[in-house]
Amino acid sequence: MKHGPARGSLSTLVGVLLLGVMLFPVYWMVNASLQPAGTMLTAGWFPRHPDFGGYATALRDQGRNLVTSLVVALGTVVLTLGLAVPAAYALARLRLRGATAVLFGILVTQTVPGIVVANALYGAYTDLGLLNSYGGLILADSTTGVPFAVLVLRAFMRSIPGEIIDAARVDGAGRLRVLWSVVLPLSRNALITAGLFSFLFAWSDFLFALTLNTTDSVRPVTVGVYEYLGAHTNQWNAVMATAVLASVPAAALLVAAQRHLAAGITGGALR
Amino acid sequence: MNTAVRPSARRITALFGTVALVLAAAGCGGGTGSGSAGGKVTSITALDYYTDATEHAQWGERLSACGKAAGVTVEHRSVPGASLVPQVLRQASSRTLPDLLMLDNPDLQQIARTGALTPLDRYGIDADGYAEGIRSAGTYRGKVYGLAPTVSTVALFYNKDMLAEAGVAVPKTWDELRTAAARLTRPGRYGMAVDANATFEGTWQFLPFLWSNGGDEKRLDSPQAAQALQLWVDLVRSGSMSKSVLNWTQADVHDQFVAGRTAMMVNGPWRISAMDRTENLHWGVAPLPVRRLGQQLLTPLGGEVWAVPRNSSEARQRAAARVLACLNDPANMLALAEQYHTVPSRSSVASRYAERVPSMAAFVKSVQGARARTGELGVKWPRAATGIYTAVQAALTGEQTPEEALRHAQRIATGS
Amino acid sequence: MRSGSRPAPDGAARARLRARVSRWLFLLPALAHLSLFFGYPVVKNVVMSFQEYSVTTFYTGAAPFVGLRNYTTALSADAFWRALLTTVLFTAGSLAGQFVLGLALALFFHRRFPLGGLLRSLLLLPWLLPLVVSGTTWRWMLDTDSGVVNQALRDLHLLSSGIPWLTGTSEALVSVILVNVWVGIPFNTAILYGGLQDIPAHLYEAAKLDGAGRLASFRHVTWPLLRPVAGVVLVLGVVYTVKVLDIILVVTGGGPADATQTLATRSYQLSFQQFEFGRGAATGNVLVLVSLAFALVHLRADRRARNS
Repeated sequence: MKHGPARGSLSTLVGVLLLGVMLFPVYWMVNASLQPAGTMLTAGWFPRHPDFGGYATALRDQGRNLVTSLVVALGTVVLTLGLAVPAAYALARLRLRGATAVLFGILVTQTVPGIVVANALYGAYTDLGLLNSYGGLILADSTTGVPFAVLVLRAFMRSIPGEIIDAARVDGAGRLRVLWSVVLPLSRNALITAGLFSFLFAWSDFLFALTLNTTDSVRPVTVGVYEYLGAHTNQWNAVMATAVLASVPAAALLVAAQRHLAAGITGGALR
Repeated sequence: MNTAVRPSARRITALFGTVALVLAAAGCGGGTGSGSAGGKVTSITALDYYTDATEHAQWGERLSACGKAAGVTVEHRSVPGASLVPQVLRQASSRTLPDLLMLDNPDLQQIARTGALTPLDRYGIDADGYAEGIRSAGTYRGKVYGLAPTVSTVALFYNKDMLAEAGVAVPKTWDELRTAAARLTRPGRYGMAVDANATFEGTWQFLPFLWSNGGDEKRLDSPQAAQALQLWVDLVRSGSMSKSVLNWTQADVHDQFVAGRTAMMVNGPWRISAMDRTENLHWGVAPLPVRRLGQQLLTPLGGEVWAVPRNSSEARQRAAARVLACLNDPANMLALAEQYHTVPSRSSVASRYAERVPSMAAFVKSVQGARARTGELGVKWPRAATGIYTAVQAALTGEQTPEEALRHAQRIATGS
Repeated sequence: MRSGSRPAPDGAARARLRARVSRWLFLLPALAHLSLFFGYPVVKNVVMSFQEYSVTTFYTGAAPFVGLRNYTTALSADAFWRALLTTVLFTAGSLAGQFVLGLALALFFHRRFPLGGLLRSLLLLPWLLPLVVSGTTWRWMLDTDSGVVNQALRDLHLLSSGIPWLTGTSEALVSVILVNVWVGIPFNTAILYGGLQDIPAHLYEAAKLDGAGRLASFRHVTWPLLRPVAGVVLVLGVVYTVKVLDIILVVTGGGPADATQTLATRSYQLSFQQFEFGRGAATGNVLVLVSLAFALVHLRADRRARNS
């Protein structure tokens, strides 16, 4: 604590205020979720008589969708890291000819609107039998995460001192071994950051979930909420309760990962 | 160096093998089992947009009952209204259309044109005795492709207490509507509400004003159309109607009404059950006002038609057609109409219904003359509909005068 | 990788080749994934933009080739140019807001204080909420008559009537920018904060010893070292912002009177509301080209900056 406790707690106070402004819409959702069923037009600033009926409804109807979201998001993290880690390692440390072109290609992928991807995938998935499957949705969701994770991990891996890797190589370790037992442990923070962001991308995905599922078998909570909007025009409290519930696991993850989060990422991600 | 490369390369290949396996497994996991291996049909699929929880359950029951009579079980699925047609198009391209498909009536001709639907006469189903509007909406190139058990339209809903308190009679003409709306407006409350959204729903609500005044979707830049648009502009300008109508859906308009924030609204009878559930709300319903007395009120016809998509199994198509016929038999028409406060689409059933449920008599009468949106332009209707809501938005925001806005709308409608 | 130290020349060449192949094998899975999931859709979209692709095509598969007609009709519409201008304004406004506020928050959280880490991670919360829901909430909050934003402004006596946040043509554009800034701040803060963490502390100490104040140390230490990260944030920001679709669709639906219609929403509406898939695809491709051009300009500028 360099600045002494008084200034520190002043900063905390300012921080809480800033966060309060930023998170006001979130508060408004919580407020709405605690109102009795009916329209939101009569809601006051505070839920004077909190009503948890919305949460009961939400848990009953959306509990399964929350689990689906969790499975899809975790699957996406695994797949994203599985694809991005070796690629980032190759781009960062294996002096490939054409690495710049690959990086540019990765940037180009980001210019493609999601709706274009979703539309084309529908046709392809139909032929491959990937519609309405966890695997198909995980593959599609990782399209957002992979480019980002490659950039973050590559930037970090470049900053690992070459001597450490050379030493391992001299000891006779293969590249895969170096990656696994030297580079990965050193990149823990970057891995957590990349993993967390791909989790968030997948968790908040709506477009793929909506277009690549034609039945109820794989229905993440974003689609659940969307269908809820049409299904319960008079139960905004349940809709908002679902949104609040949907953010709880993700918020818990954020708090758990905060120490590692973004520590030392992106130094020159595109250089 | 060499020794180091070889094992790792082998390990990488092994790794890829695993990835491929995982992907293959994931692919297999997603197979859809509809069980259509020829022979006897035991189950069919049905798709609609009745996502509302109670509505979905009620339709599920009705479909099951009809399925039972037809000797099949019905797998029922609902998707939100806005995503139904895109979903149907995707399914059409992948040949995974449901066996029984519900469509909003103005969409039917578009889908029938693609060739994805089967004409109903081949199952011995015809549209005899149906009200003219819905028959024309379900017909493409002389053949009937879709039938709706019940139909509906929009009307003027009003809050009886508010009208009584302000001493205002239910308006019958546009001038009366202007004054009534102004007198009903208070702080925190508007006199009137419509859906002027930039969607086909906004177009649908504007049509009764356009048509009853002699306007026509074939020629949008007419003085009659401008008068109708001027009415909406006046209501917003005078503060009798919120400018937020630009963003409101029909559901939002309903929310405003039940929350007591508007005294009158344009909406459909399918809201009646929700209004009845609202405590202390005494509502009434009347035909929409016309510009001058003596003009005939022309409203757009609402309602969802059921159709049988083409697929490889004749037996499945026949089973679906049996369920469709059952949904449209007089008993089910009557039951559905009572459930959702809509009107049976067979004229004879409708008049029986009017006797049984007198409160719906006004709707029965107005639906009889209701016009199908695709009645004049057919598959070209979406362009005109786009033009209409664009004009409404441009005029209500004050970007353009009604005349300018409608000239622009006409250009959109004709695609120039 | 000092290969070639082995005696046998033939074996060495083969080993080099094998080494090169094995290096590419690390990259292969990710490359295959990206080219399948981006390359294929782009090619398909380009093909579609040269066809008359209508509702009927979905069932029959017949889509006659029409050359550049979709492009000429798409580009000759007034609405296209208006949407292009809106896209530029939306992107510039969003980016300025997200970046400035994101940087301010990153700098703020860079000072260590109790609970700082917790507060910083909670800042990401807006990102976790389904956009359909946060968008709907914003719609209520910004409602002219009953929205909490106008209510607060009235209670504070800042204005007597209401601001037509969603119903005025220029206000609506400001509103969608506002909501998009709100959604984008967490991303900007997180990345910029990471960039700040990478700046060695001793540089600040040295600057302090030289008598540099806060402003001076920001100008001479923080900003130059943060520039690469800032560049990444900005270029990704442009690329992500020009294709924003769901926020606009939920909050204003492109209205009122097309005031918030961007190229992305226009492409979507052409395809999925008017079912003019060919024109929708053409508009979408223009969008891709715009953001591609921007990415290229950025890379060029970046290379020049590094070379000098």
